[in-house]
Amino acid sequence: MIEYDDAEKRMVLKLVYYGPALSGKTTNLLRLHDLLVKEGRGDLMVLDTQDDRTIFFDLLPFFLVAPSGLKIKVKVYTVPGQVQHDATRKAVLQRADGVAFIADSRRTEAKNNAESFGNLERNLAIVGIDIDRLPLVIQYNKRDLNDITAEEEIRKVWGPTGIPMVPASALQGWGVVETFRTLVSRAYDNLDRKHAFRDTHGLTRESFVDRLASRAG
Amino acid sequence: MIADNEGRRRIIYCVGEERSLREVLSEAEVAPLLSAAAKAGLPGVHVADGEGNVLWGAAGNAAAGKRTAARTVRLEGEPAGKVILRTGTPPGGTEDALLSLIADALATMAHNNLKRMLTTEMHTEVVNRSYEELLETNRKLSASEQRYRELAESLEIKVRERTQELARAMTRLVQQEKMASVGQLAAGVAHEINNPLAFVTSNIHTLKKYTSRFLDMLGRYERVCEQGGVAQQDRDGLRKHREALRIDAIAPDAGDLIRQTLEGTERVRKIVADLKGFSHIDEEGEGPADLNREIERTLSVMTQEIPPGARIVREFSPVPVITCRPGLFCQMFLNLLRNAFQARREGLCVAIRTGVSEDRIRLSFADNGPGIPPDRRARIFEPFYTTREVGKGKGMGLTVAYDIVTSHGGTIDVEDTPGGGATFVVKLPIQRGCHDQVR
Ligand SMILES: Nc1nc2c(ncn2[C@@H]2O[C@H](COP(=O)(O)OP(=O)(O)OP(=O)(O)O)[C@@H](O)[C@H]2O)c(=O)[nH]1
Ligand SMILES: [Mg+2]
Repeated sequence: MIEYDDAEKRMVLKLVYYGPALSGKTTNLLRLHDLLVKEGRGDLMVLDTQDDRTIFFDLLPFFLVAPSGLKIKVKVYTVPGQVQHDATRKAVLQRADGVAFIADSRRTEAKNNAESFGNLERNLAIVGIDIDRLPLVIQYNKRDLNDITAEEEIRKVWGPTGIPMVPASALQGWGVVETFRTLVSRAYDNLDRKHAFRDTHGLTRESFVDRLASRAG
Repeated sequence: MIADNEGRRRIIYCVGEERSLREVLSEAEVAPLLSAAAKAGLPGVHVADGEGNVLWGAAGNAAAGKRTAARTVRLEGEPAGKVILRTGTPPGGTEDALLSLIADALATMAHNNLKRMLTTEMHTEVVNRSYEELLETNRKLSASEQRYRELAESLEIKVRERTQELARAMTRLVQQEKMASVGQLAAGVAHEINNPLAFVTSNIHTLKKYTSRFLDMLGRYERVCEQGGVAQQDRDGLRKHREALRIDAIAPDAGDLIRQTLEGTERVRKIVADLKGFSHIDEEGEGPADLNREIERTLSVMTQEIPPGARIVREFSPVPVITCRPGLFCQMFLNLLRNAFQARREGLCVAIRTGVSEDRIRLSFADNGPGIPPDRRARIFEPFYTTREVGKGKGMGLTVAYDIVTSHGGTIDVEDTPGGGATFVVKLPIQRGCHDQVR
């Protein structure tokens, strides 16, 4: 969490899209921007890129007000996936309330996925976040492509970890909202535990997820 | 900057801290826009933050008949402030359109500024963090370097300690070797002394018997003299008694016995003198030494160790006097000679040659034993190396000899004796200006 101002009844949360280079993190955010209702969603801010590769981060904010009057702002960030931008990744990861790990489904990318996940684990430890308590979702993106790892195989790997896995094609626009909803829903559990979202602020999981992530149209 | 639980310092900084309109826009950017608006016919236009506090421009008076037109300025899609105008004109006119235009311009400006700030922030953060990490890496490196240096230092100390320990152990072993060789020597000398001592003792016992007979005989003479007579019968009695005591026979024997006994004690005296000479027991420290004499001295105390029937050849030429601790040299000669004497049991011939060769004192000790194969020659001066059967020697004798020679700047080598056997050759530097007489 970036900020919690009890007097102003305001809270700023941070969700981070992590993953190897070119796995589709930025594309996920672009799709969310297009697919979700305009109310409660802010502008997508894409910081400088180099040949379409993220070098700083992308940012998409969401807003909602709880029945108690608590104003909640959720900032969704992408990190640069390229190995050399590790310092930026660490800075973005700082104080994250949840992470969506966007993996590239192509068989050729298995090694990159594993390395990037290892990098996530290491960086979480460095910025002082306990990975076992962090709301985490894995998205296997680019399911529209041919040479991809079978879903069965993926579930076999991730099943035992208890981390939810969502197949997606950010290009075609499916699985993206589901990923986001899963992440938001998991984040809710943590926040409810810490800030009594339901009891004090009258905010249920369903309304939290719906207000943040309802499809437009 | 804070430290984490492992004591690592790190920058705690979170990208994308919330910002207000005032932080994102500057007076210098907003003022021209507002004055341009005023010129275009929008006087009193101003910008307020989310709470309604005026940030830029003048609010003006709330004159009657005027309405308030306002446009929201969004930051990240969230309302962050308003552009406000008090106007008398009805809504939907040019003024409202201009107002929207100003609000959009401000929002665009704010958006771009925020983007630039975030980029700069991230850039600074990354630079700082990289710098922090470099410092951290450097700190770790110097810490581990320090650790290695300490390790290396303690290693040096340990090596030094072990070396000292070894040196002490070596000294002890050399000492033991000396004691052992002295012991062996003592056994030989004891044997040598025992012989004369045995017959000296036996002679003295006989002389004791003789003496009592002489005294007995004298007593008789005395009594006869005191009675004042030398009558025939007295003379007969005395003669008979003299015969019974066999005085005439033992009197010359007593002389022989005394001569032999004196010879015996003389032999013992000489042995003791040799031993003293060999051990240099009366001398302290260094002194001039005639090595020929030292070899002789050593030989004289070793007579018991020379196998029966062995031939000792001495080919001594004068050698310059050298300053040394002569006792040490005797020790070395003892070791070399003992080696030679053990070379074979029968038919042993040991040749000792001394002289000067190529500006050095050359001493050689040749035996006609089995010799030392070339592949072992390099090792025989090493501690514990022995070709003798187990128990006969600790294998330190040649090491001690080696140490003594090298500590005097000399060399010791082993060669073949022509016709078979080993020849130990000691070469010592001649000390210039040291030709004084041996004391
Ligand atoms: N076929 C296919 N291509 C995709 C999909 N999602 C993204 N891509 C493509 O993959 C490329 C990289 O996408 P980005 O979203 O820029 O990747 P990124 O993860 O943000 O990459 P970095 O910013 O370098 O970390 C683009 O050409 C996308 O069009 C997908 O679901 N299917
Ligand atoms: Mg990207």
